[in-house]
Amino acid sequence: MITTNSLTKIYGDKTALSIDRLEIPKGQCFGLVGNNGAGKTTFFSLLLDLIKASTGEIISNEIVVAKSEDWKNFTSAFIDDSFLIGYLTPEEYFYFVGSLRGIDQKEVDIFLKDYLDFFNNEILNQKKYLRDFSKGNQKKVGLIATFIGRPKVIILDEPFANLDPTTQIKLKYLIRKETEDRELTLLISSHDLNHVTEVCNRIVLLEKGSVIIDKETTFKTLRELEDYFSV
Amino acid sequence: MSSSLFNLGLKKFLRAPQLEAKLAIKVLMGLLFLYFAGSFLFGGIVIYPALSKKFPEQDAISIINSTLALIFIFELIIRYFLQQLPVTEIKSLLMLSIPKNRIIRNVLLRSIISIYNAIPYLFYLPISIALFKDDYLLSQAFTWWVSLMLLSLSINFITILVNKNNKILVGFILGLILLFVAENYLKIEIISLAGLFFDSLLVKPIMALIPLSIFLGLYSVTFRFLKNNLNLEGSLAAKKEVANAERYDFLDIFGSHALFLKNDLRLIVRNLRPRNVVMASFLFLFYGLAFFPTLEHQPEFFIPFASIFITGGFLLTYGNYVPAWDSEYYPFLMCQNLSYKRYLDSKWYLMTFAVVVSTIFSIPYVYFGVDVYLMILSGAFFNIGLGTWITLYGGLLNKQSLQLNVKANAFENTQAFSGKQFLMILPKMILPVLLYLIPAKISNSTLGLITLASTGILGIVFKNQILNQMVRLYVKEKHQTLKAFTQK
Repeated sequence: MITTNSLTKIYGDKTALSIDRLEIPKGQCFGLVGNNGAGKTTFFSLLLDLIKASTGEIISNEIVVAKSEDWKNFTSAFIDDSFLIGYLTPEEYFYFVGSLRGIDQKEVDIFLKDYLDFFNNEILNQKKYLRDFSKGNQKKVGLIATFIGRPKVIILDEPFANLDPTTQIKLKYLIRKETEDRELTLLISSHDLNHVTEVCNRIVLLEKGSVIIDKETTFKTLRELEDYFSV
Repeated sequence: MSSSLFNLGLKKFLRAPQLEAKLAIKVLMGLLFLYFAGSFLFGGIVIYPALSKKFPEQDAISIINSTLALIFIFELIIRYFLQQLPVTEIKSLLMLSIPKNRIIRNVLLRSIISIYNAIPYLFYLPISIALFKDDYLLSQAFTWWVSLMLLSLSINFITILVNKNNKILVGFILGLILLFVAENYLKIEIISLAGLFFDSLLVKPIMALIPLSIFLGLYSVTFRFLKNNLNLEGSLAAKKEVANAERYDFLDIFGSHALFLKNDLRLIVRNLRPRNVVMASFLFLFYGLAFFPTLEHQPEFFIPFASIFITGGFLLTYGNYVPAWDSEYYPFLMCQNLSYKRYLDSKWYLMTFAVVVSTIFSIPYVYFGVDVYLMILSGAFFNIGLGTWITLYGGLLNKQSLQLNVKANAFENTQAFSGKQFLMILPKMILPVLLYLIPAKISNSTLGLITLASTGILGIVFKNQILNQMVRLYVKEKHQTLKAFTQK
């Protein structure tokens, strides 16, 4: 689904990211781990053409990301607060995202019914603008909005951070369901090794911009990662 | 202590991500400030001798005194809209071991250092010197000046109170309405009565105790008010509003653009900064009233100039910041299934919509003659056909993010304003004047109108070509813009 070739991002004399080649097949749940500054967000920003690569290219579903806007048809993402529109209510935000993906209000309403449990009565019909919601609830809105219109690729940066424990568990369940139901290529990054090894079938560990570990997830993966990070 | 708090402010400025841009803005603003300061100073120096000369039978100072109340009201309104209060930065200081009283004193002190408080020195001080030079005693002139300075500082505190408390705001608006009614319909002349009070300052210096006690009273009220509210739930917390559920279905007539128009309308209605800006753009509609009543006496180039202003207010105020209004969520827009073409096209529709609405609102200008309205109309064509694109291009040059729900500030906190952008206002103003004047001089004013209007119509005819060109420019700048907008 996504292939990157000799991708680097250099700021001044500091290399933020340098990956020779990475292939993410269709339907994979791809987990990215690494300490702060390892290059996780840089990698995702490159995939979304939010920053320009110093060298190399990214091909998503046969489209060169930096050259064409067509990848936007089948990709959605939630990176941070800047993916929310603060002055909209959650409903208006969902409708907006929906109509950008060709889905009308009624269909969005039906879609949202599946997530009422995840929302825990704190999101819909609150008569509040997104900017007035707590960080955790804002995140719930941003995450669910990425599922609207069943995009083929979803990129989530730190989806578990800021969520309360119950919601974290619900999110894991949601992600698993979503990836089992259809052929979804899901990329997530996380500092929570437990969660990420539980939902992802491949783990890539970045350190100072380079790939250190790249493995299919097995029952041993969590131990290996913990060993690596406990140095 | 105060110096370390001051240091924080200095560091905030020096370590801002776009220091160079900010410095340029500060320089520009500094020039603007010098201009205003100069005007005030000039006014202060000239007004007393001028009035004495023009009304020799009256005392010049009592003419000035009789308008002082109006000046103070005007000052309050200006301050309410523009003066930013240094209250928000103290959030992080609350947990430190700095006594609350000291923090508040610092906030109040910093609010006094605002340039709005320079007016007494610039405007009133020269007047009081003129008083002294005339035949008033030093003590009289001094009392008069000190009293006015104290009242001006009192307005500083009133601004803080009004800003932080809606009840006081409503009280003041009611007070102003009452004053207006009393003045105009009940023949109770409060403003000239206030003038008598200011006169009495000169006769009985003891009267200066009144402004002094007003000042001290307001200081302590503000102090106590801030102290009671100095916690995360009080005046420091962002106000939470109940969302309005307006759906703006009437915009559906714009078809696929309705989606974006609705969002832009919500942006304007629900955020402090764009709301103020759009209200200001409404005032442009009345710009012609300054010109058209005395049409014969105006230089010819003012006519197209004024006409462009009447329908182009929205372009000049709101339009100038066009992508920057979306800066808070620009990365989101860049990842959505939304091409630049569709995005820019929707912005074009938004601005065109605003120009059309102002053109309709300006129909009453027919009163000044059909010619005047035809002028406005051809100006509107220019604004739609070319003004919109110049605006969008100017917006592209703007590389400053913009916080939506924060009050804009005239001098201190000017986000999203650059010299380059200032330059982009010029073609919007000068081009139409030339387009009208050159043919009008060669032949007659009708040809001027036709040229101006047809340039606009050409812009509409070739809209797609211009749009594609604009898309190319925006795509080229995409990463630069994103980088600038994600820096806070």
